[in-house]
Amino acid sequence: MRSSTPLLFLLPAVALSAVVFLAPFAWLIYASFKTQGAGSLLMADGLTVKNYARLVADSYFAAAFVRTIGLSALTTLLTLVVGLPVARLIATGSGRAKGLLLALMLVPLVCGALLPSLGMIHLLGPLGVVNGTLKLLGLTTSSIKFLGTTGGVVLGLVQAFLPLMVLPLVNTLSRLPRDVEHAASSLGASPLRVWRRVILPLAMPGIVAGAVLVFSAAFTAFVTPQVLGQGKIATFGTVAYQQAALVLDWPFASTLAVVVLVAIGLALILSAQFDRLLRRRRLAA
Amino acid sequence: MKRLSPGRALQLLWTALAYLFLLAPILVLILASFDPSKFFRFPPRSLSLVWYEGALASGEYRSALTASAIIALLAGIISITTGSLAAFALVRFDFPGKRLIEAVLLAPLVLPLIVWAIALLQIYAVLGMSGTLLGLVLAHAVITVPYTVRIMVSTFERIDPSLEAAASSLGAPPLAVARRIVLPLAIPGLVTSAAFSLLISFNDVIVSSLIAGARWITFPVRLFSQLRSEGVDPITLAIGATIIAVILLAAIIGEYTLKWSRHL
Repeated sequence: MRSSTPLLFLLPAVALSAVVFLAPFAWLIYASFKTQGAGSLLMADGLTVKNYARLVADSYFAAAFVRTIGLSALTTLLTLVVGLPVARLIATGSGRAKGLLLALMLVPLVCGALLPSLGMIHLLGPLGVVNGTLKLLGLTTSSIKFLGTTGGVVLGLVQAFLPLMVLPLVNTLSRLPRDVEHAASSLGASPLRVWRRVILPLAMPGIVAGAVLVFSAAFTAFVTPQVLGQGKIATFGTVAYQQAALVLDWPFASTLAVVVLVAIGLALILSAQFDRLLRRRRLAA
Repeated sequence: MKRLSPGRALQLLWTALAYLFLLAPILVLILASFDPSKFFRFPPRSLSLVWYEGALASGEYRSALTASAIIALLAGIISITTGSLAAFALVRFDFPGKRLIEAVLLAPLVLPLIVWAIALLQIYAVLGMSGTLLGLVLAHAVITVPYTVRIMVSTFERIDPSLEAAASSLGAPPLAVARRIVLPLAIPGLVTSAAFSLLISFNDVIVSSLIAGARWITFPVRLFSQLRSEGVDPITLAIGATIIAVILLAAIIGEYTLKWSRHL
């Protein structure tokens, strides 16, 4: 085939991605240095750092920022703890069972953010399944409050983003020989020691990849914190959404978006450095 | 039969609990949709189909679901045509900048969509595309293309290029090779791409809730604004449970017939 064929095939998708997806990011940087005229959506003339100054000066945003970092870090840690044994089981499995487990892991990813949150309301609500079960078992008489609390939001985030941790882990762990556990334990290592000394180090690239995905998804989530936090838990996502969709202060929303982008960029660079360090250490060993 | 070691048993139990947690909200949504009282409580006193009847009779939700379906269908068509063409070029040709192009195509999977939507909202306003069907379809096409690219790259990698070479060496013109050799072998991948694109677009709330106007309100956007203000209308539980049931069925059928998990 002619050498222009690949170009022709690539053009529509690349144009779509570059023009509709990537180009708007450049606009954000520009808009973040603008302000709106009073009572208008139109941007005023001239560039200013007013939005950035407001972000630093107003402790509401600083608090939301710190809270979001905490929530995202906790979500990342919990998805790792919950997901690692699951990923190992899937990776060592075979046939139909393995396929079914993977297929079910995909379900939350294609459900969107809203339907699982709608389910979570009925799972965690004062009359929901968890509280109803606890009362039936006589373990509690008054309902435990999950909705509108940080705990409820974290549960929702872990549920929503567990697949983002498990899928890269399965990928990495599938490349390990299936019998490393057996080999190590036949040499006298306890199961805990096998996990700590053999499986964890070998799973590290998957852990880093999953952690970046989960952290960045949790950091920018706004539907789950909004619905399960019942508007009481302000995160970076909910604040940015409010500014963009409800307050309609688009330049300020752009500033928030730029800060999120920088934070995630930093996390990506750090994780890449970490990954490289691990690789070098393994080569040296 | 192999004896179950305690470590293995613990791992199985852990996995079962993790899946229970993962699927709990989905299963609860389905259960809650059958509770006839205005506010679901567990355990439900009785079960009925009253909200499903309400869903069928309600015109307001029908228009939102229709909007979702139209947008998903149009975005899905763009996604599978542009995405599979690009995937074919990525698999079958070598050219400079291949890694960069792949990164551009997969970028929407990695970069935060809310950040992008805040930018798109403003650009659409400048271009006069706010709340238009075109604007929504383009945005949904962008977020579904990376799924098609990934699925189709793995599909084309499994198709032996010597089949295409053999057909052309026997004198088949390129279009005939594409239609008679590549297309039939790519059907499972195309169906998988279409399913993912349709479902992701249909359920998207992150991008749509920022760029949807008054005319094209999708079902998730409607539901989100309702949850922010009035609380839960049980009819939406019946609709949500139906969507979830379709997704669960699709995942199981897709896995057993087309081996979806192998494409990821």
